[in-house]
Amino acid sequence: MINDIWILATASLVAAACALVGVFLILRRQALMGDAISHSVLLGIVLAYLITDSRALPIMLGGAVIIGLLTAWLSDTLNRVGKLQNDASIGIVFTLFFAIGVILVSLYAGQIDLDQECVLYGEIAFIPFDTLHIGGGKNLDDGFEIGPRAFWAIAVVFIIVLISIIVAFNRLQTVAFHPKLALSLGINIVFWHYFLMTLVSMTTVASFDAVGAILVVALLVIPASSAYLIAKSLKAMLWSAVAYSQASVAIGYTLAYQLDSSISASIAVSAGILLCLTVALLEIKKQRQRATATAQ
Amino acid sequence: MAFFKFFSPFILGLSLLLAPFIALAQLNIVTTTGMIADLTQNIGGKHVKVTALMGTGVDPHLYKATQGDLRRLVRADIILYNGLHLEGKLQEIFEKMARKKPVFAISSLIPAKELIYHNNSPDPHIWFDITLWQKAGERVLEILIAQDPSNQKTYRHNAQSYLKQLQQLHLWVQAEIATIPKSRRILITAHDAFGYFGQAYDIQVKGLQGVSTASEFGLQDLRQLKTLVVKHHVKAVFVESSVSPRFIEALVKGVEAEGHPLTVGGELYSDAMGLKNTPTGHYIGMVKHNVNTIVSALK
Repeated sequence: MINDIWILATASLVAAACALVGVFLILRRQALMGDAISHSVLLGIVLAYLITDSRALPIMLGGAVIIGLLTAWLSDTLNRVGKLQNDASIGIVFTLFFAIGVILVSLYAGQIDLDQECVLYGEIAFIPFDTLHIGGGKNLDDGFEIGPRAFWAIAVVFIIVLISIIVAFNRLQTVAFHPKLALSLGINIVFWHYFLMTLVSMTTVASFDAVGAILVVALLVIPASSAYLIAKSLKAMLWSAVAYSQASVAIGYTLAYQLDSSISASIAVSAGILLCLTVALLEIKKQRQRATATAQ
Repeated sequence: MAFFKFFSPFILGLSLLLAPFIALAQLNIVTTTGMIADLTQNIGGKHVKVTALMGTGVDPHLYKATQGDLRRLVRADIILYNGLHLEGKLQEIFEKMARKKPVFAISSLIPAKELIYHNNSPDPHIWFDITLWQKAGERVLEILIAQDPSNQKTYRHNAQSYLKQLQQLHLWVQAEIATIPKSRRILITAHDAFGYFGQAYDIQVKGLQGVSTASEFGLQDLRQLKTLVVKHHVKAVFVESSVSPRFIEALVKGVEAEGHPLTVGGELYSDAMGLKNTPTGHYIGMVKHNVNTIVSALK
């Protein structure tokens, strides 16, 4: 029972953080940034391994975060400086990084099992077993157990994302919807772009480590898209994206429990089903309005 | 007699009630791969109930946990895994769990000098050298005795007879492989899983892909393999049950195009065993199938 609670809590935090960041990605037409980072981290992992000769998690995470940041920053730069389209710049940067990673693996590390699937992506079902301890010095058994490592890592990330959005809400809103106005107001657009990309990279890599790639990509895109369909303001969109993400976690976990299936896949499927329901309901509403309009 | 007749329904009812508790006396063991499950079942016999997380035909590199796997791990009395990084990130979790629960790597008894290293990382496919697998069996026996000393006699007895079977299997494989002329003893497979097999049974092993699934084979690898095939008149190459056959098929087509006959010698079980209740669904059957396939194709 306590294990289920830890999994649900971690999944909720991942879902909320991804939904919040995802809203800005959707508005900036960079929805597939999460997918891009999930591929390009291979380069970070390989470089970190080649430099340190170790496959320990902190080292792998470090390499992944740095390459994640580079992916987000570079594709943003390519978009603004090179005047290439947003989706094209993402595609160029992540395929380049992934390809360099593949070449490095076959040159230097072909004989060992080194890929993001095996050294970075976490499995949500096993979160409760990977616990953190405080105190107790070197002998970890004596320490006081404070819960799963993934939960605390993602909790820290979630708080950073939340505080950033609350503090910088007006700036982010202006930059997202009225970049020209922002420019005339003297807002440093470049800084806010990079700020947002840093949030994206941090959230995705921390979430990869906690719950694996497919769920993160789904949670970045789907709840924010559902929210985009119904919300009329940025604030409403952020709130409804979080609501959608939490509903997906609850439904998905129940589904996984009943079917004995993969938890992350079930949550991703639930998010998709909720999106389809939203589209269908909006369509029915539209038809009704049309019907009443013609009746009058 | 009347007394017995009167109470017999109660006795029957009582025994039905107690049945689940009697079943609970079995040790509940969860293993990662099917190979470890088979080994543990053979040594534990009727005192253990073994469940493998990775189903039949599942490549350990591609294993995805389900919600039920969490429950299975929580309820397990003992958890056994291969180690040597076969389970990837899961291994770190097992190492942490080992502080609270009996969780063991079955490869831990194998001395470091008997392992094959690639860039300082050990090759995890130890089950292909039967002598190494016997050591894994000894480790399982040690664990079972430590966890359940009351049944140690049975465990020792089971282990003795199973390890003897493995010893016979080892000799049989040696003899079978020796029937292939030395110049033709070249085993070409889809990925580098047969390193220990080659070392133990004196057969040269080449894989098209490396151990990692992220490393795709280069043109250089393909060319080198082609030259090797042509130079040594290799008759057959092999596909693996858990790896896509299309790369090996590409190699066969490429060599045939140069006018050398080359066939696909058959399917080998590498990272996962065959379906349950079939001859290849247990370890000994799997090894026999592999060896028979190799010998009949290369001889």
